[in-house]
This record gives sequence, structure tokens and C-alpha cells, in this order.
Amino acid sequence: MKVAVLGAATTQFGELWDISPRALVREAVSEALLASNLRITDIDALYVGNMLSGILGGQENLGAFFAEELGFAGPAFKIEGACASGGLAFYNGAVAVRSGMFERVLVVGVEKMTDHKPEDVALGLMGAGSDVERQAGITFPGLYAILARAHMEKYGTTEEELAAVAVKNHFHAVLNSKAHFNNLITIAKVLASPKIADPLKLLDCSPISDGAAAAVIVSEAVAQKGQTPVWLIGAGVASDSLGLAGRKEITSLSAAKRAAKLAYKAARVGPRDIEVAEVHDCFTIAELIALEDLGFYEPGKAGKALLREELTLGKAQHLVVNPSGGLKACGHPVGATGVKQVVEIVSQLRGTSGKRQVEKTRIGLTHNVGGSGAVAAVHIFQGKAGSGKGKG
Amino acid sequence: MIGIVSYGAYVPKYRIKTEEIARVWKKDPAEIRNSLGIVEKAVASWDEDAVTLGLEAAIRCLGTRFRPDNIGAILVGSETHPYAVNPTSTIIGEFLGIGHHYFAADLEFACKAGTAAIELIAGLIKSGQVNYGLAVGTDVAQSRPHDVLEYTSGAGAAAFLLGNSSQEIIAELVAFTSYSSDTPDFWRRDGIRFPSHSGRFSGEPAYFTHVLGAANLLFKKTKTKPADFDYCVFHMPNGKFPVAVASRLGFTKEQFLPSFVAPQIGNPYSASTLIGLASVLKQAKPDQKIFMVSYGSGAGSDAFIWKTTKHIEKYRKHESNQLLSQKEYIDYPRYLKQTKTI
Amino acid sequence: MNSPVKIWRNQKKIKELLGKEGVIISWTQVRVPLAGFEEQAPYYVVLVRLADRNYLGQLVDVTGIVATGQKVKAVIRRLRRPEAEDVIPYGIKFVLLA
Repeated sequence: MKVAVLGAATTQFGELWDISPRALVREAVSEALLASNLRITDIDALYVGNMLSGILGGQENLGAFFAEELGFAGPAFKIEGACASGGLAFYNGAVAVRSGMFERVLVVGVEKMTDHKPEDVALGLMGAGSDVERQAGITFPGLYAILARAHMEKYGTTEEELAAVAVKNHFHAVLNSKAHFNNLITIAKVLASPKIADPLKLLDCSPISDGAAAAVIVSEAVAQKGQTPVWLIGAGVASDSLGLAGRKEITSLSAAKRAAKLAYKAARVGPRDIEVAEVHDCFTIAELIALEDLGFYEPGKAGKALLREELTLGKAQHLVVNPSGGLKACGHPVGATGVKQVVEIVSQLRGTSGKRQVEKTRIGLTHNVGGSGAVAAVHIFQGKAGSGKGKG
Repeated sequence: MIGIVSYGAYVPKYRIKTEEIARVWKKDPAEIRNSLGIVEKAVASWDEDAVTLGLEAAIRCLGTRFRPDNIGAILVGSETHPYAVNPTSTIIGEFLGIGHHYFAADLEFACKAGTAAIELIAGLIKSGQVNYGLAVGTDVAQSRPHDVLEYTSGAGAAAFLLGNSSQEIIAELVAFTSYSSDTPDFWRRDGIRFPSHSGRFSGEPAYFTHVLGAANLLFKKTKTKPADFDYCVFHMPNGKFPVAVASRLGFTKEQFLPSFVAPQIGNPYSASTLIGLASVLKQAKPDQKIFMVSYGSGAGSDAFIWKTTKHIEKYRKHESNQLLSQKEYIDYPRYLKQTKTI
Repeated sequence: MNSPVKIWRNQKKIKELLGKEGVIISWTQVRVPLAGFEEQAPYYVVLVRLADRNYLGQLVDVTGIVATGQKVKAVIRRLRRPEAEDVIPYGIKFVLLA
């Protein structure tokens, strides 16, 4: 049974001091419902993606929390998978609709990170790693720095190639009014930014952001009735060891490769068919590795392609990656990211992305990773090529 | 027969020079070096403490040849046990893999807590209660900035495995005795970080009275004199006192120098005398006699006579104890960081 | 306050690793420390290949450069500065083999 996305929306991403998690969710949800021509009373189930509300704010039970906020009394679930919480919430919602259990599911991803000190946030994020990693005092930049060094030593990947990811994503974010950052940067600026964990520097790292994103998933029957649906044609989720020490390889994320394989197989497409993708660039190295894990480039080759700007809007021949600005420039409210990626791809496939519209896109992909690769969720969507019309 | 079956020592590799500390407090480095006789002292890493140092020494002591689960007792002497209540000895015992059939206790008697462990273990072995006992002296010595102790308070640990098998003993414990009193020359109150001392009172009425007292008691008890020995080892609170006491007792430079580690590592408190002994054992030939006297403020001295056996040569072939290997110099700010003062 | 029971339960794992030797397969130097590790910063963290598994831990007492391929040994050190009421957390760190 096919499954489709109707309305999908995000809030502004950034340091939103005076906007509460409730307000963030209300905003994203009301916009998504409106665009779907649905009311909350039409919704059969609510899936919430979030990672840090318990660790930072002491608040668990988010299914009930947001159900109350939205005036919803049906089944409500919090799904957590570190930075993949949003993608996993979407996956679970889609599985529920595909199974015939529900017809209309509301998925919302939300994270409020700026209420707390950066050190406490960094410690909370390490909840995504293993106990041994926390005991060693390693941070998330540190874990990805270890992956970066391994990739650089095996393939000769350079710091400039990593920096090119950040440059591209900032370039895209300038065109996204919802993005956390809207400034252009250069490779030189990235290389000159303060070191966080060698070889990663400040501008190699995604920021601490607030934000929410929502999407309505509906069954085929419901989708046929209304606005331009965007079809979910394939999805895959896979797991790997919690900590880096358990991985067989440290120059790629096996969970992402396997999740992608499942998604490609279900969708009956291959990497060459993907025209627009939102991938998980929590750090520049993460996008570089993602491009190889998703099969867009052979291992070791993605760096050169990034330097050649092959994936940048306006220059790309075939595939644009992270038109929203990615995690780096659009921002990374952890639980919201996976859903925001869906919102972006859905908008691209509907032709409603305005200044950052990728031309003639028919098939798009989202790639959302939890922790240093412990879990990955890949979704593939199909719409009509560059229709330029369609409400939301 | 009771004696040393194996030993190990561990001194952290970091050193701070007397002249670096003197520079900070605008003292004359040459004057301090001459008056204290210390060139540089060992400084532990930020994440080391008496437990980790003691464990390193014990691991080197046991090597691959001695089974930890044969050890019937472990006594750890220190002035810097990390807990006021919770034994260092069982933390070390657990990491060594001693098992559960053993007696453990922590000792404290300023710088002689390590040698106190040896006396007690000798008693346990003699009474037949245990066959092997591990005596450890370990300290990460603390001192208040600008205090004279700052030039000498060092870090180190030594572990001695004592046993009763004449096939294994490399140095027999021939005799021992002690001299004790209530003398407030150096102390640290519970909950207070840095020790206090009474200046020159730590000299004649404290160190010298007790070391000479115990030494003379032992000479008398065993009817021996300095010339009967090949080596002497004394507690080294600085580079002057042990030189003076050796001379006053009638020992020669040749007998004394092999144990004289203080100028290079400072005073690792409960490990001082024991590291001096380890230094001698690294070169002693079979059938040589060692006269050793420790000192702990408060105050007391434990005096020992050791006699090396024929097994010591074979032992040295196997052991890979690098007593004082590579060293790295640090400056004063780093010293303050590593000693957790800042 | 940390969990004494967890610390106690994990002692076995630490004992197994003590003294084991391995090779660095990747590393980083953390300059912006994790909360609770400020005094140790900057510090090296290494991913080490031991005989039967990989392990991640701090590399301490470093003199000179750190590089993939260097041999290391597992030692026991304090993991963090304990709070006043904490049981002291001892754990595995690595040192370079000369």
C-alpha cells in the first residue's frame, strides 16, 4: 500500500529565546494541517521525535505532553534515536499508515536546545554515544573527528574538501528564510575557525538550534482525494554498534549503507535516480561520508566532487545535496532535523521551494543519522517533476 | 626464612626543577638546591593518585611470574590515601586480581607507612598465617605553594612481595626493629589539604633522633656495625638529612650512594625508603647485606637488615623494572595544574 | 553523585583490559572538553585496536606527536575529578609505548 505526505512545514530554526517547545510545535503543526486541509480531529495518531527533553529539561512522556498541547486524545508516541529521532518518528508514522492501522498520522520533530548551557547540551548529546565514550570525555565533534582522520588517512581527503561542505550549505541557506544562518562563508574562513577536536573546527560543526517541523502522512486512499501528494516510495532503517569501537569500519557508516540499500530496493531506484537529497551533515565529514554511503560517489571520491561544487545549487548537473542548508547552516534542532529533511524534499518535489528550487526533480532522498552512526533512516520520495504549482 | 621474593617501583615521568620553583618565588635557585640537596622532583599526572601509582608498582612487582591469587595479605601505606574511609589496599587488590581470600588494610604513619607494611607482613608470614604478602608504599605528596616542602614533596610508589620460600627469596629479612615516640614535627589534620611542619624541629629531635635511635637499637640487637654492610638506605626527606645520618652512623659514601635517589625524584613520602631499597637491589650481588632505616614523622623509624641470596642474579635477568626511565620537564603553571592546585 | 554500583559492576571489564597492548587506528585531540573534563583539556582520545576488539579511551602523558599506528598500553587512571560525595571513578586510559 502506498503512503504519501500531504502538508509539511517547519518553524524558523535558530536561537529562539522567546519561543517555547509548545509554541514551536503548535506553529509547525498548524501550518502542516492547514496545508493538508485537515484538522487535528482528523488525525489518527501522533508521533513525536525528540532527544533531549528528558536529559536537559526533566520532561519525558512527550507523546502525552504534545497531545495535550495540540488538543489530541488519540495514540501519541515519542520516538527517540538521538539525532535520528525525527527520521525514526517519520518512519514509524509511515509504517503505521502502510500497515493499515491508521489513515492520517501527524509526525512532529522538535528540539529546544538554547534554554541550557552549551556544555550541558554537549553532555546531553553524548547520551547518543556509549558509556565508555562518555568516560573518555569525548564529545560529538571528537567522535566525528576520529572518523574524519581515518577517512583522510585512508583516502587522502583534505580539510579543504571538508570545508567545501560547509561553504555549499551556507550558500544554500542564504536562500532559506527559515535557516539558522544566512551568511556566506569561504573555505579559508572554515580553515581559520577555532579548533574544536582535531581536525574539525568550529565551522565544520552544526550549531545548537531550536526548531520544530511537522508532516502529515496519509494512506493512498486519503492522498488521492486532495492536494498534490508526494509519495514515500522506499524507506529503510538499520542499526550498528552504539560506540565507534564496535564498528567494523570507520571510514563509512554501515547503518546508513544498509538503510539506503533497503530504501533503494523498496523504491526500485538507485543512487543515479536521486536528484535532490537532504543528508545528515552534523559535521562536514558526515556529509562527505554520506555521499559515499548513499552510493552517489565511490569511497574516497566525494571530497573532490564537493570541491568541484558538483552538488551545489546552480552548478550541479544532476544532484543537489542539502538545498535547505543542511544541518550545518539551516541548523540542527536534533529531534526536528529528520522531519525538516522530509519537509524540504516534499517541497522540492512539489516545486514550491522558491529561490532554492532544484529544477525538474522527481525523486528525492532524506538521510538521517543517530549518534556517530548507531542508527540511520533513509527515505525516498517521488513527486511530479518541477510542476511549480501545488499547495504546500 | 622470610624475605623479598619480588619488587617493583613506579615513579611518574614528569619532573619539575628546583630552580623552576625558586624562579617563581624569586628565590636564589643555587642556594635552595644547595641547602636542600634536591635538583628536581617527580610530579604525578593529573589523573594519577596513590591508588594508581601503587597499582603500577604492584603490577611491576608481580610481573608475569607471580600469581596474584597466591597473595594472602596486602597492606598499603600512604599519607595520601584518596579516601579517609575506603581502603586503597582492596582497590589495588581488586585490579591486581588477588581474588577474595586475602587480608587487607591501609596504613598511615607519615613517610614510614610503607615499611610498617613490611614489618606487619613479616609477622603474618612468620606466624604461618600467609605464604605471600604484598607491602606497598605509595604517595602523591602534597605541599603548600611557597612552603619549603614544595621543593621536595614528590610522587612515587614501590611494592614488595614477601614470601617464605628459600627457593624464591632474593633478599632475606634478617632482622628488624623500631623506635617510636610522640613527636609533632610534621602533621596533617583530617580534612585539611596541605601538611604542616615545625621547621627546624623536624631535624635533630625528629628525623635524626629516630633514625639514629632505631639504627643503634638494631646494631645492638644483631651485634653488627656499619662496616658489616655493603649498602645502607635511609629515608630521604631531602638531599641532606640522609647524607648526614649515614655519615654520623659511620657509613661510607660507597655504601650510601646506590640508594640515594632523592636528588632526582624528591621525596615520595611512603615510597622514599622503599624506592631507595629497590635502587640497591637493582645492582646488589648475592650474599650482600643491606642496612635500611625509614622515618615517619609523628614519629618513628623502622630499621631492617636484608641479606641478598644467590637467586638475585637470576631474578634480575627476568625483571624489566625500569626504575627511573624517560623524564619530561614541566613548568610551574603545569605543575599547579597537575597537582590540582589550580 | 555518580553510581557506586555501576562503578563496581564495571570493575571486571576494567580488569580485563588492564595492561593490554594495542595500536592506534585513529585519534583526535579534544580542545573543547566535555562537561566535567575541563581540567584535562586539551586531551587526546584514541581508537585502539586490541587483540580481540577495538576500544576508545584517552591517551595520556603524551610526549611528542600522536599518530595512527603507534603502539599503546592500557593503564588505570582517574577518569574525572570526582565530586565531594562521589566514589572515585577509575578506568582505562592509554599511554604510548616507548
